[in-house]
Amino acid sequence: MSSIIQTQGLTKVYGSNGTAVHALRGIDLTVAKGEFVALIGPSGSGKSTLMAILGCLDLPTEGTYTLDGHQVQGLSGGELARIRNEKVGFVFQSYNLLPKASIARNVELPMLYAGVGRKERRERALALLEKVGIADKADKLPGTLSGGQRQRVAVARALANEPALLLADEPTGALDSKTGAEVLGLFRELHQQGNTLLLVTHDPSIAAQAERQVEIRDGLIALNEGAA
Amino acid sequence: MKTSGAFRERLLGAWVEIRENLGRSVLQALGVLLGVASVLGGFSISDSQRRRADEMFVKMGGLDKLNVQPKAAVRDGRPTALQQANLGLRDEDATGGEGLKADAIHGVSRQKFARARVVSAYGDQDRQISGIGGDFIPANGYEVVRGRAFSTSDTDSGAPVVILGTEAAQTFFPKGDALGQTLRIGDVPVTVIGLFEERVFRFREGQHNQFWWRNRIIAVPASLVQRRMNGDAYRRLDRVTFRIPDLGAMGGFAKQLSDLLKANHRLQEDFRLDDVAARIRRRNSQGDVYDIIFLLSGVLALVGGGIVNVNIQMAGLKERVREVGVKMAIGASGREIFKGFMTEALLLTALGSLAGLALGVGFSWIITKSLGIPLYVTPASFLWAYGLAAAFGFLFALYPAWKASRLSPMEALRYE
Ligand SMILES: Nc1ncnc2c1ncn2[C@@H]1O[C@H](COP(=O)(O)OP(=O)(O)OP(=O)(O)O)[C@@H](O)[C@H]1O
Ligand SMILES: [Mg+2]
Repeated sequence: MSSIIQTQGLTKVYGSNGTAVHALRGIDLTVAKGEFVALIGPSGSGKSTLMAILGCLDLPTEGTYTLDGHQVQGLSGGELARIRNEKVGFVFQSYNLLPKASIARNVELPMLYAGVGRKERRERALALLEKVGIADKADKLPGTLSGGQRQRVAVARALANEPALLLADEPTGALDSKTGAEVLGLFRELHQQGNTLLLVTHDPSIAAQAERQVEIRDGLIALNEGAA
Repeated sequence: MKTSGAFRERLLGAWVEIRENLGRSVLQALGVLLGVASVLGGFSISDSQRRRADEMFVKMGGLDKLNVQPKAAVRDGRPTALQQANLGLRDEDATGGEGLKADAIHGVSRQKFARARVVSAYGDQDRQISGIGGDFIPANGYEVVRGRAFSTSDTDSGAPVVILGTEAAQTFFPKGDALGQTLRIGDVPVTVIGLFEERVFRFREGQHNQFWWRNRIIAVPASLVQRRMNGDAYRRLDRVTFRIPDLGAMGGFAKQLSDLLKANHRLQEDFRLDDVAARIRRRNSQGDVYDIIFLLSGVLALVGGGIVNVNIQMAGLKERVREVGVKMAIGASGREIFKGFMTEALLLTALGSLAGLALGVGFSWIITKSLGIPLYVTPASFLWAYGLAAAFGFLFALYPAWKASRLSPMEALRYE
């Protein structure tokens, strides 16, 4: 099976000499296409840092990373933006929708950056909203939606350019358990449809729903269960 | 060209941003607005003023004139024999000058003044008499409405005929038709053969007629004054005017004429040349100084506004760091972010300058209205005002947009 994520010796150091924080200290991780991986670990262990690097939001200090066949290290800011746009879909704990843009426009935006035409953009956005079950809210502003609904919009937006990898950093962290479970159900559905998912969580019961768990501590992989 | 309508989307996004932050946007647009208004307003007011002045000169017979007048050659002390023997400005000077550049000269007028007692059945006054010759009437914006102008034989023979301005006609023949009547100028009885049309010009609406004095004219052939009113055997003139429509030829002609006159006058410079067009140009260049002042105040407003804008933008950027981070996370490149911020700033500049153009026109309308002159706005003023605003808007938008585009997506997303 081809791998979506392949890293070797990833390290990340924040700051310089005196105040340096070694957030990652050598991560070797491989995620195959179609896997659903839960990333767990205590606060400050480096989960978000790893997510950022895997999502090409940030570059590692050292190590190599190949995303869906593309070498990431050494790419320019513009090239990274392109990879984020085409290969990665993000879902954040705090939704991170643009508050002044309508729901549909929020979903359309990644397609706009990809150069998709207006009409097709709109159609695809509506189809995605349909898929996550909130097609009726297309022209509303994010502020008028509940947390669970907002997170569904975020999922729709993440799927906009049919990414190779979906990254979710505590997507249920801000939701009550019922809506959290619903959103999680949505992720499982996406997994069943063949998407590759990597989900960061504190919650062991959520992690248990993934087919594979990776635990990091102090910037190192402590446990790697169910690896393919 | 991409067909995704990215520009349109940016414009839409910019518009949403502007509308959502109305207070901030208005503040930002204010600098542009004032700058544009001050440039356009200033230019329009000075253009209107200048155009009105030009209209006045056209009504006086045009600007394309070179006047020659006698001047005392001696300032202090006793005149030398040479100076005393000089004859002053004469007919020969006029004909000689005309011969210099016959094709460039579109008319020569001569004037000889006298003061005399003018007497009719109704009036008896001491008046200025204009002895005229050549193309005086058209060259000075006069027109004979009734009767006729002087014929060549009138001017050659010094015929005792007169043409009156409206005021003169009214003064000496208040009861009725002056045409054909007789008037005594000094000892010479003259016949009224023509009447000038009334000359009226008000620089500002409601002002008095600035041309009122021109209606006082009592015009006789210059030869009549020379022969019968001054007793001047040398037939001297008080003023010779050459009309030269080709202003480029004016300078060369003035030089040649000056040399010729000097030769005629035994090398005495007892005459003075007055290039009317040059004088007007000097006056106009005074207007240029005002233009520069208006321009400067506009530029200062734009620079001040620009600096304020940079500050507001930078403060606003703090609130928008997260938004930039989100956009970057979903695939916006730094370039895309830069374009977004620039679009916003330029749209704001465009809106601000539109309002500024309206304000500028309104402002100059009020000023010209209160001055009583017609408003005259040139396309060039619009272009200057708009161009400056666009240039400064662009310049001052660069820094915040560049700053925003250089944010790291990771840092931006973590920003609280
Ligand atoms: N931009 C940064 N500058 C300096 N230190 C940072 C930065 N980002 C993260 N860190 C540090 O790196 C370490 C890992 O942080 P990270 O956010 O990856 O942890 P995490 O596992 O996601 O924690 P949490 O579960 O609380 O979200 C922490 O010690 C954190 O303080
Ligand atoms: Mg985290």
